[in-house]
Amino acid sequence: MPRTPNCSLDFEGESVPAVAGEPVAVALYAARVKVLSRSIKYHRPRTFFCLAGHCGACLMRVDGMPNVKACKAPVTPGLAVSRQNAFPSAGFDVLAAADLFFPTGMDHHTMMTSPRALNALLQKVVRELGGLGELPDPDNVPRELPAGERKLVDVAVIGGGPAGLAAAIAIRRARPRTNVMLVDEGALGGSLGAWPGGTAKMRKLVDEARSLGVELRARATVMAWYPEDEGGLLAVEDHGHLLRLSAARYIHATGGYDTNALFPDNDRPGILAARAVGTLLETHGVVAGKKPIVLGEGEYADALAAALTGAGATVARVDGVGMQVVGASGHAWVRGLTVEENGVRKKIKGDSVAVVTTPAPASDLARQHGVSVILDEKGGGFACVVDADGLTSVPGVYACGDVTGYRGPTRAEADGARTGLAVARSLEGA
Amino acid sequence: MAKTIVCRCEDVTLADLQHAVKLGYTHIEEAKRYTGLGTGPCQGKECLVATCLFLARASGIAPADVEPFTSRPPVAPASLGMLAGAARSDETDQ
Repeated sequence: MPRTPNCSLDFEGESVPAVAGEPVAVALYAARVKVLSRSIKYHRPRTFFCLAGHCGACLMRVDGMPNVKACKAPVTPGLAVSRQNAFPSAGFDVLAAADLFFPTGMDHHTMMTSPRALNALLQKVVRELGGLGELPDPDNVPRELPAGERKLVDVAVIGGGPAGLAAAIAIRRARPRTNVMLVDEGALGGSLGAWPGGTAKMRKLVDEARSLGVELRARATVMAWYPEDEGGLLAVEDHGHLLRLSAARYIHATGGYDTNALFPDNDRPGILAARAVGTLLETHGVVAGKKPIVLGEGEYADALAAALTGAGATVARVDGVGMQVVGASGHAWVRGLTVEENGVRKKIKGDSVAVVTTPAPASDLARQHGVSVILDEKGGGFACVVDADGLTSVPGVYACGDVTGYRGPTRAEADGARTGLAVARSLEGA
Repeated sequence: MAKTIVCRCEDVTLADLQHAVKLGYTHIEEAKRYTGLGTGPCQGKECLVATCLFLARASGIAPADVEPFTSRPPVAPASLGMLAGAARSDETDQ
């Protein structure tokens, strides 16, 4: 699906073509804006890594508000976007001298701790260097504070990827009068938007959930589980207002977080999570580069490499196992990887890198909920422990899909359907 | 010398983590407090697992016996205006 810009945003005074509604980060990527932010200590150039609202590398000033995730903020015509935290600008930041001054890292505990006066001065300097953004423009601050909302439902589903949607569908099919609310921090569909060909499946699941009467709330981010408030509630940021959501049953279907591979200069702009590259292509019609490198192996790496090739890119593959990455070249943007195979080093040129790792189960919210997790290396990280019904260690709290250990969208959907049915059964006579 | 970034938010490197281990900070909560990893805008979404696996190997603990650091609210950045707005509408409701 080719991308057709129909408006423009204002990037530091320059007009950047964009598609209304697409994330700001996508428009900037397509316009080849290389540096979206500078890192906190070393002022290293950064662009987004995950494009999914998780990594925190794309915080920008949007419409006068600081620290907005450019990967989530939708483009509106004329939207003002600028970079923050750099002097004189994020494109050329003199504070990046810190990167050269501390070549491998720094131990701030032993850095100029005496004499006291010098330490106090240094603290001021560090605060100046390390601050994140400036206060909002007074004209852009809303005059009215957004009113809160409370909601009590039968089932709250957290996450609208294949697992969460399938669970919600299964419950409404089995028990049509059950109140099911599904919240998702992004657009609905989760990882399906990153899988080549996944958007068709996504539309089918979303349409079915909607027609069965699931209350769907997209762009509603669960921030916390508060056990002590009113018998326990989820705090949800829903388009700027606070939704306090309580339910008889909870289903955690939060999927996984993209993680990076560890190699020198692994944070160079252009080294992206594979699913970010997949989302650019499948959801937004943007090919990550003319010569992308797919780093990693497995089903997703193969599918992504094939899709990029199909979109006209010349794809290089690095498996990361027999061929290990020992470095990256390029500063403001990646220009290639240095790899080592059987003791021989060579450079592989590329204008973008898609890093395939097993996504880490997004179990941080479930952990707040008291759910037991186990470090499952094959499953990508701290996976929620569940029984065959998807029930966790906490009564009434279920989990399904990648948050129980990575399984990919097809198995996550089946898992969600099974869990939804079990939840529906558990409500009988309740 | 190039940096291998473990925690993107707080610019914590693999060398920082190795240094912390050398000083005896092999538990995830100790490593977090010493280096600051996992305390940025993403709250450890990217670095937690890599760090835990690294520490487990460094201290000879089986991964299945490793616990994550405590997850605390909020898991995503929240605006104070939103919380104040909800508190104000609570007062009006009463």
